[in-house]
Amino acid sequence: MQRLLYIIQKEFRQIARERVFLLVIFIMPFIQIVVLGFAITTDIRNVSMAIIDYDRSSMSRRITDAFRVTGSFRYRGVLSTEREVARRMNRDEIKLALVIPRHLERDVKRGASPAVQVLVDGVDGNTAGVALAYANRIVQDLQREWLREAGTGAGELRNIHLTEVETRMVYNPALESTNNIVPGILAMLLMTITSFLTGMSIVREKEIGTLEQLMVTPVRSTELILGKVIPLLVVAFVLLNIGILAAGLIFGLWMKGSLITLYLLSILFSMSSLGLGVFASTLANTQQQAMFVTWFFTIFSILLSGFFIPIENMPRVVQVITYLNPVRYFMVVIREIYLKGTGLDLLWKEALAMTIFGLVMFVSATVRFQKRLG
Amino acid sequence: MFDRIFLSIVKKEFLHVVRDWQTLVIIIVMPVLMLLLFGYAITLEMRQITIALVDHSRSPESRAFLERIRASDFFEVAAVNVPEAQFERLFQERRSRCILVIPHDFARSLEQDAETDIQLLIDASDPNAANYIQKYLMQVSTGYDAARNPSFTMPLRLEPRLLYNPDLRSEYFFVPGLIAVIILLISALLTSIAIVREKEVGTMEQILVSPAHPVQIILGKVVPFIVLGFVDSVLILVIGHFWFGVPIHGSVVFLGLSLILYIFTGLSFGLLISTVANTQRLAMMATLLATILPTIMLSGFIFPIPSMPVVFQYVSRIVPATHFLRIIRGIMLKGSGVRDLVTPITYLLVLSIVLITVSVRKFNTRLE
Repeated sequence: MQRLLYIIQKEFRQIARERVFLLVIFIMPFIQIVVLGFAITTDIRNVSMAIIDYDRSSMSRRITDAFRVTGSFRYRGVLSTEREVARRMNRDEIKLALVIPRHLERDVKRGASPAVQVLVDGVDGNTAGVALAYANRIVQDLQREWLREAGTGAGELRNIHLTEVETRMVYNPALESTNNIVPGILAMLLMTITSFLTGMSIVREKEIGTLEQLMVTPVRSTELILGKVIPLLVVAFVLLNIGILAAGLIFGLWMKGSLITLYLLSILFSMSSLGLGVFASTLANTQQQAMFVTWFFTIFSILLSGFFIPIENMPRVVQVITYLNPVRYFMVVIREIYLKGTGLDLLWKEALAMTIFGLVMFVSATVRFQKRLG
Repeated sequence: MFDRIFLSIVKKEFLHVVRDWQTLVIIIVMPVLMLLLFGYAITLEMRQITIALVDHSRSPESRAFLERIRASDFFEVAAVNVPEAQFERLFQERRSRCILVIPHDFARSLEQDAETDIQLLIDASDPNAANYIQKYLMQVSTGYDAARNPSFTMPLRLEPRLLYNPDLRSEYFFVPGLIAVIILLISALLTSIAIVREKEVGTMEQILVSPAHPVQIILGKVVPFIVLGFVDSVLILVIGHFWFGVPIHGSVVFLGLSLILYIFTGLSFGLLISTVANTQRLAMMATLLATILPTIMLSGFIFPIPSMPVVFQYVSRIVPATHFLRIIRGIMLKGSGVRDLVTPITYLLVLSIVLITVSVRKFNTRLE
């Protein structure tokens, strides 16, 4: 026990001595939350668009106006030919163009239902799809307006009955993507700090050669690992709190659920990421390798955690793999606690899964570490 | 400059890289795995949406409406006729992402009123999913209206034409983007760490007393990573092109040249960091913060730049990957030529020259 305390003390000193490094780990949560929180927007806004107007009627002007006023599009002006549209798209200046055909107004009044062409830059499929949906909605709303104006009293229109979907967005009425992303960033932060730093701080001693010196002292390898892990766990815990504060102060996002539950589940989750770090240290002989091994696992576990790609969207095989990913469970937990205030009674399955993964990973990594040394 | 000494340094560095085969395996395997994952697993388009249906009307009309939802590929009915008191629990247990409620007077209202409301509650904690759900259900409603009012047509139609990527396949978007990320990862991260490592282990002094010039030492360290970065990006290109069918419309030579330019930019970042950092973990953290994070998040690799706040749009213009993404997507998907891409190319060129000059100067002064 005494020896364990000494090692912990030594680790803290080493961390404290490296000023710049300390600065970097404490600035990291802020930068991550600010950059990621603002940058990761799954909502599509300000799509640059232009219009070719071959009709120049009052109707085509109303279409143009409707596109000018919405926040979904940024209107870049009138173009005269399709060639110009192609050139602008090649230079990434516009993403969407509307081609209003000649005699649009005349054809509409005749009831010929003319086609307005929408040219969309399809490179970013998601943006293209969403922009197209926006365009559709704008045009549909406009047409409903026209129908109402033209159809008052018209007998034919009285027979038309339309259904209208009236949506209520629960838990996130303004559809802010930060509400979804920021808790995810906290999870990512906890994962990267614990796994990266653990792996590198153990391997560093190997690389510099001080691990052998430690081995000839009476310190047991379990004590060594715990001594390495506990200070980092403390650092990670502090960082988590900084992150929670930053999320609240910068984005006004405070958790609805219980802080104690989150702390408890964070510790359960940290066991698996610390285990990953120790595991990486047994594989690696240089810090570079340790970093790459952890980096490798981190990227995949974050991609497959449902952080920004919902797991239901993935193919079945990949979905099965995600059950083996501890981050998946923590991602659910932290979002539920933050946004819905879900209690532990509905989260026990995730908690159980994280406990099992944590114990298995940490214990097997430690055993592997001991074997390597013996 | 490029004499025998330089060649032997390059040889030594290559040996270092090859001997460390674990890292080498990761460098080769990781991009391929990421490509497969991105190609197959990543789509923001929702499928298998769990839905709860509540039918207060229980009429032939409402059943016809619900039948359309059941028949669609997008939805998976998770619960039926749940009482309203259970709604919250349904969301908290994550059994259902949305709840559709058809009101009592649905059938009557359909006969008499111009518009009939259907209530939809969506768990919007994932706003992107919420948007898709709303879009799909509006399509269901439009389809239902069209079937009930066959004589009715809208005044005009929108006819979409998708350029460059008619099937909206996400591989077209991700393969070029992935090349930008991987190259930076290898060139910036590996370079910075490789140099700092010699400092940390103490071998840097040994090299410095040798007759080699500091510039030769740095360049010699850099050459293997240029080769590695290039091999990796060609690997991704080949798999992307032949396996995922991502086209290369523009000139392949032009593409190769711009790849090399971008590798240089990454290396110059790595060099700069290595002159500042003294330990590997500091170098790694600094690289992570200064290059990798912005490259993945702010370059338009996944998240569109125009949707970001204005400040970040300006920041994104400094990030080299933003410009490289324009180049590589332009060449591969749009067949853009040099003339379309003058601005981003100039930017990358100037940036790399400035960074390399600064870091070589700094490296020299720190040694004396």
